[in-house]
Amino acid sequence: MDFITLGGNSLGTIPLGDIVLYLTPFNLFLFGILLLFTVMIAFSKPEIQTEASLGGLSNTEVKVTPKEFKQRRFLSVICGLASAGAMITGDLFNFTLFMAFVGILNIGIVSAVKQTSVLNSAFNYGLIAMMCSLPLFGGAAIVLASTGTLSLFELSQMTASPMVVFGILLMLLGIIGESGVAPFFASKAEMFRTPGSPFLVIIHLSSLFIIVRAVEILLLVLV
Amino acid sequence: MFIAPNAISVGFISMYLPAIYAGLIVGFIGSIAIAINRREIHILILTDIVGLAMLFIVAAVGTDLAEALILPGLVVELAETLAISEILLSREMHKLEKDKRRTTSLFPTPFLLDMEVMTTAPNFIALVLVVYGMFLTGFTGGAVTGGGILLYAISRKARGLPIAVFDGIGGVSGIAWCLWLIGFVLFFVMPQFWMISLLLAAFGLLLKVASKVGLIGVLMKEDLENEGGN
Amino acid sequence: MKIGKLWNKLANPKVVPRLFACFLAILLIAGFIVPFALDGDNLYLRPSTQTQIDEGNPFAPYFRGGSLLSEPGVTLAQYPENSAYLGMVTSYLSPVSIWLASITPYFGTSICASPGGILDEILYYTRGFDTILESSILMMSFVIASWLAINYTMDRKNDEDEIKNDLKRAIGDSNKVANEVKKSDIKARNKQMRRDN
Repeated sequence: MDFITLGGNSLGTIPLGDIVLYLTPFNLFLFGILLLFTVMIAFSKPEIQTEASLGGLSNTEVKVTPKEFKQRRFLSVICGLASAGAMITGDLFNFTLFMAFVGILNIGIVSAVKQTSVLNSAFNYGLIAMMCSLPLFGGAAIVLASTGTLSLFELSQMTASPMVVFGILLMLLGIIGESGVAPFFASKAEMFRTPGSPFLVIIHLSSLFIIVRAVEILLLVLV
Repeated sequence: MFIAPNAISVGFISMYLPAIYAGLIVGFIGSIAIAINRREIHILILTDIVGLAMLFIVAAVGTDLAEALILPGLVVELAETLAISEILLSREMHKLEKDKRRTTSLFPTPFLLDMEVMTTAPNFIALVLVVYGMFLTGFTGGAVTGGGILLYAISRKARGLPIAVFDGIGGVSGIAWCLWLIGFVLFFVMPQFWMISLLLAAFGLLLKVASKVGLIGVLMKEDLENEGGN
Repeated sequence: MKIGKLWNKLANPKVVPRLFACFLAILLIAGFIVPFALDGDNLYLRPSTQTQIDEGNPFAPYFRGGSLLSEPGVTLAQYPENSAYLGMVTSYLSPVSIWLASITPYFGTSICASPGGILDEILYYTRGFDTILESSILMMSFVIASWLAINYTMDRKNDEDEIKNDLKRAIGDSNKVANEVKKSDIKARNKQMRRDN
């Protein structure tokens, strides 16, 4: 399918060698929203949870230590920028790299917590993220072998052969695993159960937006 | 004299099928092993086999582009292993802490390395590695130089001597990063200055990788000297 | 089995990687029914295997034509307008690499001393953005791992007994080293004295 049918009239390109960033209203909209959220997160303060203590009437505050806060804010801002970049990239392999980047940052944001259950799910999510390098990069390589190009613009002009469909299916599995959709949701959903809310939201947001963008890419290549 | 090929040579095309089937089989074996294994540390190690299958499939394409794509794949795999094993470590330590009986640090408890090389000429070997790394330049060079710094730090620690603290090493890494970004941007804005961009990129990468590997060495500085004074 | 039970099983994070591996294995085995064929019309071509080595070219298998600082090498980039400067980068050799190529026929098979080796040059220029991302990933994983290490896993400020023991051992070790150094010093001096006399 064409860029124009999916994203509206092209507003121009930013050529960075082989990797050309396409600016269509659709992509720019996603890009802008993510940047806006990133700015909001950069200037927000972390939530403070209160927990009722057992066997008494007092409440305890669950706070994020300043050290942990700094680390998390840094990683969240980078995560926001990375997902924003994934919205406008115009190269298949580049997109998979953005995907892997967002995956490792998601793990990083929760890596500083003290709850073992959260660390456990982060570890399990990390295992999936590591396995995902095969379907993501392998899928892109199979598409490259079959068509001789990785540029989304060129790929959108071609008709998909069975080999391209297989490569894209592999990529789809990688994207599903990396962003924690349907059968693989558990490990990623459990990562949220910790204080420090605005930074955890970016984990959600990045996978949401990346799924939208992935669907666009699949349509571009397949249809 | 170099004659440019105008299509992929027959050898690569005939090799593609065996190569990609090998990749699929290796990936299948790796993922089945993960699916039936229950021990976490084994799963962590087995994911490397899956990563290996990815290298097979990328390399099967057999162009210069495929060779350029292998490096990102490899590095992503390595980086994730590093971060995730550290998370596993901290999770286990949190579990130990909750156990109340004993708080133990898992990593460099008494750091014993009874190797001849650690006491005889580590400084010289470290120096050779650093110089050789500078000579290699690029990614490999960075790794070798970083290995030299690491060896220096480890050998000092193994002998129980205080380690000179490279506090600025993180800063060096950041500066190298900027150098490198400048080189990259320059390539696209003014390709006629390709020479300066190339050198910026090459030496930026050297510094970056070297300081990264060296960073592990800095972590080893530990509290020996800090607590020694009290 | 009821579907509710199935969902409950899936909610355990420990099951998820193994389930994912299952799916991946099934998809990979399904790959055997796909007709794979390498497209001959690819980019960044390289000459067929072994030809450059048989010619005895020291830059084999990475020789792509061109000469230093004057004539671009031949590379087929995605967008042909990039090929010219890409070729210049390909043909660039550092002084060290020129010297190495003059003394060994196997220079191309090593990856040393070439800021513009064929691999690097694609990664630096036309696919530079990939490299930026790749090493950002490396940097972030170092940030994550070293933060954890410094603040938690290697932080030993609370294990005072252990630190005391280690300190004792360290002092003992360094005394031993110092003694050995002193001994060998005396030995060497004696030898020298004997020779002088």
